[in-house]
Amino acid sequence: MTLLDVQDLHVEFVARGLDNQLRIARALNGVSFTVAAGEVVGLVGETGAGKSLTALAAMGLLRPPARIPRGSIRFEGQEIIGQPDRVLEKIRGRRMAMIVQSPLTSLDPLKRVGDQLVRMQRVHGTARGAAARAKAEAMLAAVRIPDPARRMQAWPHELSGGMAQRVLIAMALVNDPALIIADEPTTGLDVTVQAQVLDTLRDIVAARNLGALVITHDLGVVAHYCQRVAVMFAGQIIEDGPVQQVFARPAHPYTQALIASTPGRIAQLGWTLTGGTPPDLYNLPTGCLYRDRCPRATTACLAPPPRIAVSDSHGAACHFAGEAA
Amino acid sequence: MSFTHVLGIARRSPTFAVGFGIILVFAVMAALADVIAPLPPTLSFPYATLKPPGTDPFLWGSDGNGMDVFSRTIHGARYAFGIALPAGVIMAVVGIPLGLIAGWRGGWVDEILLRILDVLRAFPTIILALAIVAATGQGFLNVILVVGFLDSPIFARIVRAEVLSLRNATFVRAAVAAGNPEWRVLLVHILPNAILGATAQLPLRMAWAVRISATLAFIGIGVQAPAPEWGAMIRQGSEYVISGEWWVALFPGLALIAMVLGLNLAGDGLSDLLDPKRRATGK
Amino acid sequence: MTLGGFLLRRALVALPVLLGILFLTFMLVRIGDQDPVAMLAGPMADAPMLARIRAELMLDQPLLTQFWGYLGRLVQGDLGMSWQGNSPVTQAIADHLPATLELVTLAVGIGALVGVPLGLHAAERPNGWFDQLSRFGSLFGFSLPTYWLGLMAIFVFFYLLGWAPAPMGRVSMMVTPPEVVTGSVLIDSLIAGNWEAAWSAAGQLVLPVGCFTIVATAPIIKHTRAIAIEVMGSDYIRYARACGFPRRVIRRIALRAALVPVITFVGSEFTSLLAAASLIEFVFAWGGLGHWGLNAILLGDFAAVQGYVLVLALASVLVFALVDLVVMLLEPRARA
Repeated sequence: MTLLDVQDLHVEFVARGLDNQLRIARALNGVSFTVAAGEVVGLVGETGAGKSLTALAAMGLLRPPARIPRGSIRFEGQEIIGQPDRVLEKIRGRRMAMIVQSPLTSLDPLKRVGDQLVRMQRVHGTARGAAARAKAEAMLAAVRIPDPARRMQAWPHELSGGMAQRVLIAMALVNDPALIIADEPTTGLDVTVQAQVLDTLRDIVAARNLGALVITHDLGVVAHYCQRVAVMFAGQIIEDGPVQQVFARPAHPYTQALIASTPGRIAQLGWTLTGGTPPDLYNLPTGCLYRDRCPRATTACLAPPPRIAVSDSHGAACHFAGEAA
Repeated sequence: MSFTHVLGIARRSPTFAVGFGIILVFAVMAALADVIAPLPPTLSFPYATLKPPGTDPFLWGSDGNGMDVFSRTIHGARYAFGIALPAGVIMAVVGIPLGLIAGWRGGWVDEILLRILDVLRAFPTIILALAIVAATGQGFLNVILVVGFLDSPIFARIVRAEVLSLRNATFVRAAVAAGNPEWRVLLVHILPNAILGATAQLPLRMAWAVRISATLAFIGIGVQAPAPEWGAMIRQGSEYVISGEWWVALFPGLALIAMVLGLNLAGDGLSDLLDPKRRATGK
Repeated sequence: MTLGGFLLRRALVALPVLLGILFLTFMLVRIGDQDPVAMLAGPMADAPMLARIRAELMLDQPLLTQFWGYLGRLVQGDLGMSWQGNSPVTQAIADHLPATLELVTLAVGIGALVGVPLGLHAAERPNGWFDQLSRFGSLFGFSLPTYWLGLMAIFVFFYLLGWAPAPMGRVSMMVTPPEVVTGSVLIDSLIAGNWEAAWSAAGQLVLPVGCFTIVATAPIIKHTRAIAIEVMGSDYIRYARACGFPRRVIRRIALRAALVPVITFVGSEFTSLLAAASLIEFVFAWGGLGHWGLNAILLGDFAAVQGYVLVLALASVLVFALVDLVVMLLEPRARA
C-alpha cells in the first residue's frame, strides 16, 4: 500500500536583492517518488540538492519565503499541500513522524526525557497518565536504551549524542505512526554508534511494517538499510530504482560518478566525478541540469531529458539511460 | 550606489532609512544654523521674556531671558553633533584596539577590561559620569571626554565579542595556518570583520552620548545656560512648566528626542542590514 | 551546589568589585575643587576653626590613610556623616531608600507586566505590522528623556487638566502622614487604615510611576522580542512543530524557555533604573534616595556620595545574586 505519494513537486524561494529586484530560487523542480508500507526508501544527493526540503514539504512544514507553485503530496490518500496547520497537526507526529538531524538541540531542554515522551502521546490523544508513562518506558527499551526507567528521569543535556538520537527515534515511534521520515539521522555520530542507531531503526521499521524515508548523503547507509533509492540533483530526482539494481548498473552519469567516488571504488574505476558547482538555482538553464558537469553531454542534452526506464522499476532522467554504460 | 540601491536599502530596512533621514536633517540644521535661525541664539530681548509661540519675532516663543526658543533649538543641533561625533571617535579609537587585543590575546588586557566592565555593570554610568564631571570641572570638552571614555569599554566589549567569534572561524585559522604573521591576520582578516559587526553599535552608542550629555546639562552639570544646549534649555524651561509656559521646555525636548531617535533607528536598522542571517531570509 | 556555597561564591566575586567602586568614588569626590569644610563651617569661621574641622574629618591626612580609615569604619557599619542633612549616612539612606524602591519596583513591575506580553506578541510575526509598531515604539521609548517626560506630564495633568496633584513629594501637605513602618507612604497609610493619606499617596505616585514605566517598558519589549525570536527559531521549537504540537503547546514551550533570559534582563533593568530614578525624583521633588544622592554629588557631600554609590552597587550585587538563584531553580542546566 502506498503511504506517501509525491508527484511533480516544485518548491521555490522568493527573495529581494539589495538592488530591490525580486529573485526566485527554484529549489525543487519536479520531484516524484512514492513510499509504501514496509519499505525503506533512501533519498541521496549532495548538499543543496533539496533532500531536506523534500522532507519538510512532505511534513507540510514549509514556511514563507518558501512556496509550492506546483505539485502534489498525498499521504494515506490525503493531500498535504494547502492544508491548514490544524489538519496537519493531527498527522505530524501521529501518522507521519520525523527524526531530525541535531538530536541534542532538538529536545526541549527544560523537560525530562520521560515527560517529553508522555507529552507527545497526550498532545495526540493516544495515551495519558500511567499508560503513557508505561508506553514511554517501553519505547525507550525498544530503541535499546539501557536502564530505561532511569533514563525517563534524565534531562536532555545529560544525554550523549547517540542516546539523544535514540530518544528521538522513541519520540517518533511512540504514537505508532505509519511513516517515518529520517533526515540525516546519524550525522554527527561516531561510526559505531551510527550503525547501532540505524540497526535499531531498521529492525523496528521491519517489525512493525512501517514505511520509511531515509535522507542521507551516505551511499553506504543506502546500501545497507534501504530497499529503494532515489538520487537527487539540483532539485530533481535523476535516478530511482531498487538499491541493488541502481548500485549494480547506475544509468545516470551523476549516479555513476557518485558511486565511483565512494572510498574503495575510486581506485577500481578511476576518478570520474567531474568538478564544478551545482547549477545556480536563481538562474536555472533549460535542458539537462547536469550537462555542464557531465562527461557524456552532447547537443541532445539541451532538451530536458525524460525518465527512461532501464527495467520495470528502475529509471533515470538521462537521454542516454537506455544505452549500455 | 545607484538610485535603485538607495531604494533597495530603504525597502529592506525602512528603520535605517528613516533614522538616517532624521540625522541628515539635523546635520543640515547644525551646518546652516546661522542661516536657518532667524535670530542669534543668545540674543536677549529683556522686555520680551516668556512670550508664547507665534509672538513676533518668536516662532516658538521666547524663554525667561527673552531669547528665541526656535533659534536656540536649531543651534542646539551643533551641541548634539559636538558630543556625538567626538565621543564616537573616542569610542572607536580607544574601544577598537582594546577589544581587538582583549579578544585576540586574552591575558591581562582581557582581564583588566573584564574587571572594568564588572565595575561599570554594578556602577550606573549616569551616576559615574555625573560624579566625574562634577569633580573634574564642567566644560563642554570635559563632558565629551568623560562620555567618550566611559563608553569605550562598552564598545570594546562589543568588538571583543566579535573577535572571539571570529578567532575560531575557518578563514582565520586558514590564514594562521598559511603562515601569515599575527599582525597581518589581525589587521587583514579580523579587524575589518570585527569593525563591520561593531559598526551597527556605533550610532546606538552615539545616541547614548547625546542623551547623557543633555541629562548632565539638565541637572546643571556640564554645559551651562545660556548656551543653546537642549538639556540646559529644558532645565531653564522646567521652572516655567508649573506656571504654564510649556514652550521653553517642550521644543528642545522634542529636538533631543528626534535626534536620539534618529540615531537609535539608524543603529537598529543598520544591524538588520549588516546581519547576513536576516539578509538571507529576504523580506 | 548548596545555597550556602552559592552565596559564599557570589560574595567572593562581588567583594573586589565593591572595593573597586568604593575606591573609585572615594578618589573621585576628593579630586574636585569642592571644599566641604568651608561649607560646613559657614562664613563666620576663622582659620583655627577650619583646621579643627579638617582634622576632625581626617581631611588633613593622606588620601590612602583616609580611605583605610573609611573602610575600617565601614565594616563597623559607620558610613560617616552627611553634611547636607547633618545626620549619619546610614540613617539618611534608611530614610530615603523606601521612596526610591517604591518608585522603581512599581515601574519595573508594571513594565514587565506590560512589556513581556507585548514583546512576545511582536515576536510571533517578526516584521509583521505589530512587530514594526512595537519596535518603533520601544526605540521611541528608548529615546525619551525621563525628566522631560515628567515635565510634560506635570504640565498636561497638573497645570492644564488639574487631574494630578502638585508634583511636590509623596503625600499632600494637607494630610497627616502615617507612622513610618515600611517607608512606603502608600503601604504605611494602608497599614494604619489612614484612607485619606493612602488616597493622596496613590495620587502622588501616578505621574512619576507612569513616566518611569514608559521608560522602563521600552527596553523590556525590545529584549523580550529578541529573546522570543531566538527561541522561536531554535531547533527544539522547529522539532516541536514537526511533532505536530498545536500552537498553544508550542507557545507554552517557548514561554518557558524565554522565561530565564527575560528574568535575567528584568533584573538588570531594576538595577539600572535604581540609578535613573534620581532624575524622575528630581523633577517630582520625590525625596528618595536618588534625589538625595544627586544633591550629594552636586554639593560635594563626600560621605553621602560614597554611601549612595555603595547602596547602588550593593543593590546590583544582590539583584544579580537573586536572579541567578531564580535561574538555578528554573533551569536544569544551571543546577549541574
